[in-house]
Amino acid sequence: METLLWQVEQLPGLLAVSRSGQVRDWDPPTLDRALQWGRYFQHLHGRFRAQPRLRAALGQRLRRGQHGPPLGFGHLGRCPELLGLALLGNRALPPAACHRLLRSLLLPPSGQATPGPFGLLARRRAAAQLLLPPPSPAPARPEELELEQSLRTEAQLLLSRLQEDEEEEEEQGPAGVLEHLPRPRVYRVLAALLLEQAGDNAGGEGASWAEHREGPRPAAAVLSWLLGEPGRLSVFCRLLPGSLLVALSARYPQLGTPYLHLLTNWGSRLRYDPLSGQWASSRCPSEDELSWEELRERFSCFMRGPAPLREAALASLKNLKIQDGDFEVCGLSVWTDLLLDALGIGFCSCTCWCKPGLTPPLQELPM
Amino acid sequence: MAQHTAVPKLSFQYWLDKAVAWGQTTTLESQQDVCLQLPKLQEFLQQIYESLKHMNSTTALQRFPLIGQLLGRLCWNPFVVGYDESQKTLMWCLCCLYSNEPQNPVELKANSWILSLLCHLLSPSEWGANKVGTGTFISALGYTSADYYSKLVKNIVLSLVTELKGNQFNGLNIQGRVSDDHVNIVSLFCVPLITLPDVTPLLEALLTYHGGGSQEVLSSEFLEAVNETFLKKKIVLSESAVLSLWLRHLPSLEKATLHLFGRLISTQTSSLEEVACIIKESLLPQAACYPPIFRIVDEIFKNALMETGGTPEVMTIIQVFTQCFIQAHQKDNKQHKFPLKAYFPHHHQHLVIALLKHPFDLPATLWSQHLKYITDMLKAIIEDKSVRSYTDLFESWFLFVHFGEWADIAVEQLLKSEDESSDTFLWLLAFYYNPNSDKEQRTQILVEARAVYDRLMMLFSCTTLSVADLQAAASTKTDKRQPCTKHLVRHLLFSFLLFSSGGHKIAQEFISHVILASNTTNEVFGLLIRTAYRFNQLGLKNQRVVKLVNELLQELRFMD
Repeated sequence: METLLWQVEQLPGLLAVSRSGQVRDWDPPTLDRALQWGRYFQHLHGRFRAQPRLRAALGQRLRRGQHGPPLGFGHLGRCPELLGLALLGNRALPPAACHRLLRSLLLPPSGQATPGPFGLLARRRAAAQLLLPPPSPAPARPEELELEQSLRTEAQLLLSRLQEDEEEEEEQGPAGVLEHLPRPRVYRVLAALLLEQAGDNAGGEGASWAEHREGPRPAAAVLSWLLGEPGRLSVFCRLLPGSLLVALSARYPQLGTPYLHLLTNWGSRLRYDPLSGQWASSRCPSEDELSWEELRERFSCFMRGPAPLREAALASLKNLKIQDGDFEVCGLSVWTDLLLDALGIGFCSCTCWCKPGLTPPLQELPM
Repeated sequence: MAQHTAVPKLSFQYWLDKAVAWGQTTTLESQQDVCLQLPKLQEFLQQIYESLKHMNSTTALQRFPLIGQLLGRLCWNPFVVGYDESQKTLMWCLCCLYSNEPQNPVELKANSWILSLLCHLLSPSEWGANKVGTGTFISALGYTSADYYSKLVKNIVLSLVTELKGNQFNGLNIQGRVSDDHVNIVSLFCVPLITLPDVTPLLEALLTYHGGGSQEVLSSEFLEAVNETFLKKKIVLSESAVLSLWLRHLPSLEKATLHLFGRLISTQTSSLEEVACIIKESLLPQAACYPPIFRIVDEIFKNALMETGGTPEVMTIIQVFTQCFIQAHQKDNKQHKFPLKAYFPHHHQHLVIALLKHPFDLPATLWSQHLKYITDMLKAIIEDKSVRSYTDLFESWFLFVHFGEWADIAVEQLLKSEDESSDTFLWLLAFYYNPNSDKEQRTQILVEARAVYDRLMMLFSCTTLSVADLQAAASTKTDKRQPCTKHLVRHLLFSFLLFSSGGHKIAQEFISHVILASNTTNEVFGLLIRTAYRFNQLGLKNQRVVKLVNELLQELRFMD
């Protein structure tokens, strides 16, 4: 057992070297040994996959003393591809070793009928290229579709990684992986993950709102990581469009309140510029701010959302308006103006006070 | 070396010009052209690889100076990379060109170029201006592009399938119904991907998708390629998808029927069960439950029958196909299914109904009576002077061929029971083997058949017989026997061997004798497997005659 654990402990090192300049000194026999290790690790994965305790032990050993993104038991199974692709992209590998690499990775193995996985990979990549951007002038913009499918896929991979870790009883929870993922990409992927999970679990829209208050398990873990630090949530919310955040808040009530709170926070930083007659950012613009237009758009997304969210947003705005003196005049309180102009919820007809450009879009009133 | 000359230089220029043209425009015409050329290109790439694997990279570059340009361009063409096994061959060629000891800057540069091409083929692409960092993200997660693309393709396929089924997609954006043009292009873009298993659900969704108008929305390249691949058994498709393909694309149905026919003729089948199995596997009997499909398949059979001049093999195929079709029709649980007789639009529906009765729907004691009924009707149609036209006669004969098991039973009845209706049955057999309208000719056949039959009946009760006796009984004074008469006589002789006690004993000897002398193995073998199949269907197992049939079959199989 100790030998096995020691062997497995070599995996992070092997992967790190394969990506580094150290491969400069590799000759073909070294390369063969590395690939053999890769296959051996894959073999171990196959052998112990069905044994939860061993899996957990191996997974924990893999994570020990690691810098950067932690490894897991699944890495053992993917080792030949991880190693092969890393070496293929490593220009430090000398020609003789590289020649050996290409032959063992790509050429048909003599006597064996099993084709390498790389032909299939190249083919699937071409398939994605062919089928992804709608080749005709389709209504949706191709880039968006690409992004969406790519995000969904990344979200699924993230999900399976989180599930792998959970099975190995990763003590840090999802944080161990999430902390090390590239930002801001991780936030978009998380949104896709939450959306996908909500879609999978919701039998109907109403049911999901009423019954799954905590959300499904991986989603709940991800959410609590997201909500665990104000900075994270703030970047998450700034990055994603208002409509998506409202859709997520509808499915995950624990997200709705902090998001609304963030919005009012952003709103309170806006100052009215009497010269231009507009709400503008404070004098020293920091990153954590939102323009008036964006704020208005985000609130109107709430108004178009499901009733509980709409009411919560309205109540919050009305409450803040009261705190600001409950004036019915434009330009005094950002909350009054939001209610009056942007959301079309007025208490008197005061269009004369408002700039013509800010006439409320009455036709967009929800319900 | 011979292998080197196997790759003509001209082809390099030809394919390079093609690759350049494909790379420059993305018009529908150029995409259709790629799809059409893909099989030939794959063959060419395979030839190049066969040559390259015996050379080092310097020699290869000297011999094929255009190879770099060609491979480089092809690696950037997703149609080519996506097609069947082309991507593997492309990568193998690149491997062969990589030098393990680069001697000069050119080779160094070539090596680096090869690596970038391979990375391009295998790494996540950074789409256009959206450098979103998918590669970094998945590698931080500990996954590779192999994991990523496997899931990505599934997602894309699923979302296209959902779109085609008209459902709303519960994703980041909600999509409406797709336009016909879009579907057409998706179908064209699927052509290279047909053998990729991930794409199968999309193929099925496309095949069962019908646009708003009456015009075909799928590209004909797609329909042809799917059919071709299905017939080669390189993909497995659901029955409904295949039916939908044949219903919407006539050339595919024709090809499928001819393919089945070709397979049945060319395969050495050792039993009719095997033939029935091949027929069912083709899905054509199931598809034929749609009357338009039945009509076309039947028409093709009719042509085959006419072109071969009514060979017994073709007649047997039609007979077995009809049985498989009737079984499929009985299994078909559709609410509004057509009655069986509607598939055989013959003037005389009574005849159709009588023929549709399978022998095992009736007790054996009624066979003779039923056969008489059938024959009388046929005779009335054929000999009715007012409507005698060739087409009429042919249609009636063709209808009877579908139910050829009744002809076998007629012979059996002739020998087993000394029936007073032997004239009737002989007439039916003469008709079965010779649908000629010439009355004189039929009379001639009948006279000869009657003579042979009478002689055989005289030998029927003899317990000891010699081959010579039997040969004498079957012989004729004139040598001008028609081929159809020969078929008929052989059929009579064959049944005599099975059903008479004397014949039984010399059956093996006689058959090997007759076969050696007259080179009619196929015909006798055909009669044997028909008989074995019928016995099997009737559930006969332990009777002497069944054993004999099996022994004879064994022997003939051995002789092959």
